Amino acid sequence: MIRLGQYTPGNTPIHRLDPRVKIVSVVALSLIIVGATPAEIMLLSAFLAAIVFAARLAPVQILEALRPIIFFIALIFLVHLLFTEGEILLNLAPLPLRITREGLVRGLYFAWQFAALVIGAAVLTLTTPLSALVEGLDRLLRPLSRVGIPSQDLAIMIAMALRFMPLLIEEYERLRMAQTARGADFTTGGIALRSRALVALAVPLLLSALRRGDELALAMEARGFQRGGSRTTLHEFIFFEQDIVAFVILVALIMADLSLRIAAS
Amino acid sequence: MIHVENLFYRYEAAAPDCLRGISLAIAEGEHLALIGPNGCGKTTFIKHLNALLFPVSGKVVVDGMLTTDAASVRDIRRRVGMVFQNPDSQIVGMTVEEDVAFGPGNLALPSAEIRRRVSRCLAMVGMTGFEKRAPHTLSGGEKRLLSIAGVLAMNPSYIVFDEPTAYLDQAGKERILAIIRMLNQQGMTIIHIAHDMRDVAEADRVVVMDRGSILQVGTAREILGRPDLLQGIGLATPPEGQRA
Repeated sequence: MIRLGQYTPGNTPIHRLDPRVKIVSVVALSLIIVGATPAEIMLLSAFLAAIVFAARLAPVQILEALRPIIFFIALIFLVHLLFTEGEILLNLAPLPLRITREGLVRGLYFAWQFAALVIGAAVLTLTTPLSALVEGLDRLLRPLSRVGIPSQDLAIMIAMALRFMPLLIEEYERLRMAQTARGADFTTGGIALRSRALVALAVPLLLSALRRGDELALAMEARGFQRGGSRTTLHEFIFFEQDIVAFVILVALIMADLSLRIAAS
Repeated sequence: MIHVENLFYRYEAAAPDCLRGISLAIAEGEHLALIGPNGCGKTTFIKHLNALLFPVSGKVVVDGMLTTDAASVRDIRRRVGMVFQNPDSQIVGMTVEEDVAFGPGNLALPSAEIRRRVSRCLAMVGMTGFEKRAPHTLSGGEKRLLSIAGVLAMNPSYIVFDEPTAYLDQAGKERILAIIRMLNQQGMTIIHIAHDMRDVAEADRVVVMDRGSILQVGTAREILGRPDLLQGIGLATPPEGQRA
């Protein structure tokens, strides 16, 4: 079955947080991580671990979120490890490469930074349904409608794109099977041959997407949708006690981060 | 009441007319079936009832409101619900409950009222418990039910069904027809495009269309009792025992 997003249902304090608080927190946390000094790594790692624990996420879920970018984390680590000047720890002769103490520290730091950013975002998507994320984003961007940015229309567009992704994948599979049944081969032959087969698939897929888009626009209009019109939603976003607590923790973290930076300078 | 008067329509200026002088009055609480061969203009016609298409000439009046009056379009679309042929192309929500909430949300109703409507309409189509499901995980029949719930949530006075039983198995068909029957018994006006002649047996009136015009209007018994008329436009007649 096609699954969109990686939301894992739960009833933890993190799951119950208002999506707006979670989005703002992840953005703030990401900024802190990007600018973090090595001294802050312990504090931020402990904070992330506490969030993962509070959300009752299994370590395997976090590893699963890191899996697609593990190559980049390794690459970042190796580039810094091998190409940073400094006190030599190991000479890799006859290769023109040396492992330095500074390279090791920088490699570990940047690899941690990248992983921490992904873990923060993973906690958000693992504990928040996609629809709540889109609605939260809509509410956060709503003040921008005063300067002509249609936040509600943008949120609808994002929701439509997410809604239609599985349909397009299903359509692709249907077309691929129909063409395979009539002798098309997408798995063997040279690049030119395979590309030609894929083009034959892409054209009907595009036409089908356009047709669906037309039908969808009609159906939306038939249900009273008007571009730029005022809309309400199923969910009311109300700040509860837990949201205020989360907000206070976030402010405390920002303050601690600032204090450490001032102390370091 | 819906009044259609001498309606002409063509998709492009140079194209031939798809609808040619259609005149029809649809009374409140009526169950009207619309039949005809593929391409005869049934779907084009019903899109006029919801102000999705506008007449090239002639007029469509819904409860006293002209569909060409821009100020009335939102109200007309609330009153005339449309259940399209392909449910996949009309489900817009990322979850079942959000899809049902889409129409009431467009009417800018308060969240509490939207929640009430979502719960009521899902119960009406027997989908209570499906609220958090993603639409793409539903079966064809369930998607059809969801699209009906989405339209019911607008509290329409009229519902237009465009071949609602197409591609469904017998159990699915019967479920949809039972819902149509229930809605009609509750006083809702039903306009129902059908291909299977057995589906129109319960209609108060049947309109036969061919090549953009109305060929015949009569009771289900009258129309289904005219195999010559139906076969003349390529429609199959149901067996004797299954006619109205």
